[in-house]
Amino acid sequence: MVHALEEIRRLLKPTGALIDIHPMAESSPIEIHQGGKIDLAGYLSVRQWCIDYQQADNALAEITQRGLFAVEREGVFDSLTHYASVAEMRTDLKEAIDKFARDAQSAGEAAPHAEALAARAEELMQAAVSGAELILRERTHISRLKPT
Amino acid sequence: MAIRVDPENNETRALFDMANFGGQHVLEIGCGDGRLTWRYADKAERVTAIEPAAKQIALAREDLPSQLQDRIEFHNIAFEDFAAASAPSAFDIVILSWSLC
Repeated sequence: MVHALEEIRRLLKPTGALIDIHPMAESSPIEIHQGGKIDLAGYLSVRQWCIDYQQADNALAEITQRGLFAVEREGVFDSLTHYASVAEMRTDLKEAIDKFARDAQSAGEAAPHAEALAARAEELMQAAVSGAELILRERTHISRLKPT
Repeated sequence: MAIRVDPENNETRALFDMANFGGQHVLEIGCGDGRLTWRYADKAERVTAIEPAAKQIALAREDLPSQLQDRIEFHNIAFEDFAAASAPSAFDIVILSWSLC
């Protein structure tokens, strides 16, 4: 990751900017929205299985400490993923685990966790009124860095 | 109905708070299916979007809006290979979006 950031610096004009966007390394709530109220199905604990977004933070910290980039501006926002059905969420979580799990053991541990969340979401969606929405909320960090 | 990511445009607003894309040559690393690319490309002068996953880049090419065709180039390539073949100081803005390189 640090090497990639060094390469990005080489590709950028001296007056250019790097915009980094990545989810923060924390649990993300899965919510059911209906009639102005929000029920919580549980938290997707990405930290337990995902390749480490903390590494991304560490790499950015290292390159700023080394003086390759300086943070000009940063912020935080919520990125919401809306699923039309629990089946769609199941498939999406499975694909995410397949793509981003650290290793086979982490993937094996994450699968039942994701399935338990999907089962809980299913219960809540079955009890919900028509038009209820199933939403994954991910707290996301964005920063603008300039080459120095 | 397909999965809808950020229909509230929170990410787009945050992105536009960080950069003015007018007249800029943008490199987007890990563009996936182009979800974010469509949101800013009409403001940029040119966008080079790279993605190592063939399936994702195929979706991006398929969904490329006609009005953006002369502005966006997609490459199915890993960043390290792209960087090795690229000249220095080529881009005004690099976007690293949900991507660990």
